[in-house]
Amino acid sequence: MNNIIELKNVTKEFKVLNRHEGLKGCIKDLFSRDYKIVRAVDNIDLEVTQGEIIGFLGQNGAGKSTTIKMMTGVLEPSSGNLIINNRIPYTDRTKNSQEIGVVFGQRTQLWWSLPLVESFKLLKDIYQISDENYNEMLELYGSMVDIETLLHKPVRQMSLGQRTLSDILAAFLHNPKVVFLDEPTIGLDVAMKSKIRELILELNRKKNTTVILTSHDMGDVDALCQRIVIIDKGNLLYDNEISHLKHFFGIYRTLKIRPRENVIEVANKLKDELYAFEVSITNDDTWISILVNEEKNRIMKVLEAVQETHAIKDMQLKEISTEDVIKKIYEGGVRN
Amino acid sequence: MKNVTGNESGAAIKRRGLVFYTKIYFKIIAQDIKSKMSYRADFIISTIGIIATNIAGFIAFIIMFGKFPSINGWSYYEILFLYGFSLISITPTQCLLDNNWSLRRYVYDGDFVKYCFRPINVWFYYVSEVFDVKGLGQLVFGIGALVYAWIKLAIPVEFLLIMKIIVALVTASLFMMALQNAAAASCFWIQNSFWLLDISLKMKDYAKYPITIFNDVFRFIFTFILPVAFMAYYPSLVILRPDNVPVLTWLSPVLGVAAFYGSYKLWMKGASKYDGSGS
Amino acid sequence: MKNKLKKYFALTRLGIIETFQWRLALFVMILGNLLYLTLIYFLWKAIFSSAGNDVVNGMTFEMTMVYLVLATSLYGVVELYIVWEIGRNIQNGKIVLDLLRPIKYKHYVFWENSGVLVVNFLVTFIPTFVIVVIMTKGTIPLGWNLLYFILAFVFSIVINYNIDFIVGTICLYTESIWGINIMKQMIVALLSGATIPLAFFPEKFVAVVKYLPFKAIYDTPLTLLMTRNPGWQTVISKLGFSLFWMIAISAFSGFFWRISIKQVTVNGG
Repeated sequence: MNNIIELKNVTKEFKVLNRHEGLKGCIKDLFSRDYKIVRAVDNIDLEVTQGEIIGFLGQNGAGKSTTIKMMTGVLEPSSGNLIINNRIPYTDRTKNSQEIGVVFGQRTQLWWSLPLVESFKLLKDIYQISDENYNEMLELYGSMVDIETLLHKPVRQMSLGQRTLSDILAAFLHNPKVVFLDEPTIGLDVAMKSKIRELILELNRKKNTTVILTSHDMGDVDALCQRIVIIDKGNLLYDNEISHLKHFFGIYRTLKIRPRENVIEVANKLKDELYAFEVSITNDDTWISILVNEEKNRIMKVLEAVQETHAIKDMQLKEISTEDVIKKIYEGGVRN
Repeated sequence: MKNVTGNESGAAIKRRGLVFYTKIYFKIIAQDIKSKMSYRADFIISTIGIIATNIAGFIAFIIMFGKFPSINGWSYYEILFLYGFSLISITPTQCLLDNNWSLRRYVYDGDFVKYCFRPINVWFYYVSEVFDVKGLGQLVFGIGALVYAWIKLAIPVEFLLIMKIIVALVTASLFMMALQNAAAASCFWIQNSFWLLDISLKMKDYAKYPITIFNDVFRFIFTFILPVAFMAYYPSLVILRPDNVPVLTWLSPVLGVAAFYGSYKLWMKGASKYDGSGS
Repeated sequence: MKNKLKKYFALTRLGIIETFQWRLALFVMILGNLLYLTLIYFLWKAIFSSAGNDVVNGMTFEMTMVYLVLATSLYGVVELYIVWEIGRNIQNGKIVLDLLRPIKYKHYVFWENSGVLVVNFLVTFIPTFVIVVIMTKGTIPLGWNLLYFILAFVFSIVINYNIDFIVGTICLYTESIWGINIMKQMIVALLSGATIPLAFFPEKFVAVVKYLPFKAIYDTPLTLLMTRNPGWQTVISKLGFSLFWMIAISAFSGFFWRISIKQVTVNGG
């Protein structure tokens, strides 16, 4: 067996103080010992082989970041077995860190006011990277991105995209076996997103690095992952090949339109008019969202049908989001 | 399983011992000093701040003690000696452990987690990140006061005495570092540890008075519960009262090491229970 | 007008709730103050016994202690660490959001912190005052002086806040918090009589200090509180002094903020 990551019946519970509301509650809290147990992760099993890229999905508070913190050795599981690279990360934190890399989308781990190269040099010493491996890695980076410009720029002067790029490069620098990427493309424009995706994919191929990716962007998942794991309310909801799921989110897209007339009236009318297309329609104050199954109907046909009876001010075409996918799985559209 | 480049796990990685940590420490603080250079105005103002603060502290000292030739059997220059001694022994805490002041914020915002991913000791990595150069301003005042008092008290300048004062200063520094470190670590358990840190900082002000001014109860408290008396008084007795050195003074270097080690363990225990979400 | 006040009081209420959220902080703060008071008790006792005189610089040991105990608890009420807050908001850019609020920034920061002030006053000063009154039996008269004190204390809060706000404004230029703040704390504590009663200062020093606004923060309210039957000239001159500085310093801090914030907008900071 070549499992780089193995989780068996992993559970994590937290003790949380029950807070009371209002001024009186606050005074009560001063002396209160009223705790409740929250189970953030509930009996999760997971096996990952070397070199996989896994999309780790779930809503905020679903337990995915707790799981990642356990895998990185920051948190100790309340029960169950968790092995990374034949080690228990929590008890062997230092050795485990030697072989993992971590990137948090918004929080840089680089030295803020120094040029990137200074951070790299420090990391080289901290991870005891040999000159040979270090230079080889820089060369590899040079073949992928414009490394010279990045190296001599202070991190605080970088754009968000450059900073994320630098953080990813720093995480791979010591050639770890596993890299955890938390929302690596959050807040970036389309061009930068695809650049970052390419970089991750290439590093994964060249170095055979296992990548655990969390993202709210289905585009990231689609471009990078062969396999998807979805966690919801601490439970493993889904663990399968992406093709299985892709079939699903690939065929659904959301058509958003802004009518000239009153949004609510138009939305109500459309529910009748588009009955034959089997779409689901929702609306907010300005937009009407029409979720279209493209296997059954082409999106242009739906748009035409709308235009026949209503004037459209503006329109958008949206890929399905991870949240929508999770919702659909709940509704029973996809089976594990 | 293929591993394309070398870096074969374990084999290339040396044990991380004292040499490794010393080397890394100087590299990390060098980076910190480089960073500080890029905020020069801040550096200059902070230096002026610490000088002004010390002058104000000194004026307060003169106002309180200048009029009286002796207090509680301690002459003016002996008290000045303690004053300088406490300023010097606070310096390592100020210079080396300054990042502890930000610990509360890192923990609260969840940013502390970034220190947990590196293959080196968390405490070491955290405190090494900041080296507070301005602390050295205090050191100058402290040495000035101590040397002046030394001359006025007509203490001979002998090798043995100088060795003794150095050991005494290191001991006192260890106690101060231990107290600040433990106070900072409290933020892993309680939400607003600022007050504890603030108190630990004030302790240095208490340290500069001879413990004999207190009654028995507080002498006991400041010796065995809050080790304020070890931050200047007991160690400096070696110089000020060489004929009558209590056992506690001789024990203080060992106790200092123990206190510091204890505070380190406490800090690490807190870090290990940190859940990364902010407490 | 009523709505306006409501807006402010909503901030005060939130502040009170937040203060209690910091569970242990309160206990620790009280403990810290008790330790400090212990220190100054023994220290001044040693000083008075070395002087060999019951009265030093016109003050008895009891009066000195009463003064210092009350000054310490007032310090805990008045010191709101405003400079830290403004400085940090400048550094992390949160100030831009605060500037967009429909309240003047200076007022916003004040009312946001007023909850802490109220709690501190109720939790530290009032109990301390009651204990001191009972223990010293009659050292503090209970009459009109309480009213004078309250007035002087309100002036004191405003003056201290405006000094903080001016120092906080300087952070707009320097981006430095620590150095400026620690300097301010030390200088205000010394010149206002928070740590040593002004009566102990050398004459030449007092000659300068008595014209500065700092003494209105601790010295004036406490002197008014502790003086039995002061002449109305004394009351008027002391309160007048505080009032004058309150108006002058408020005007200046507002003016300084206005020109400084312009500077920053121009610089694009």
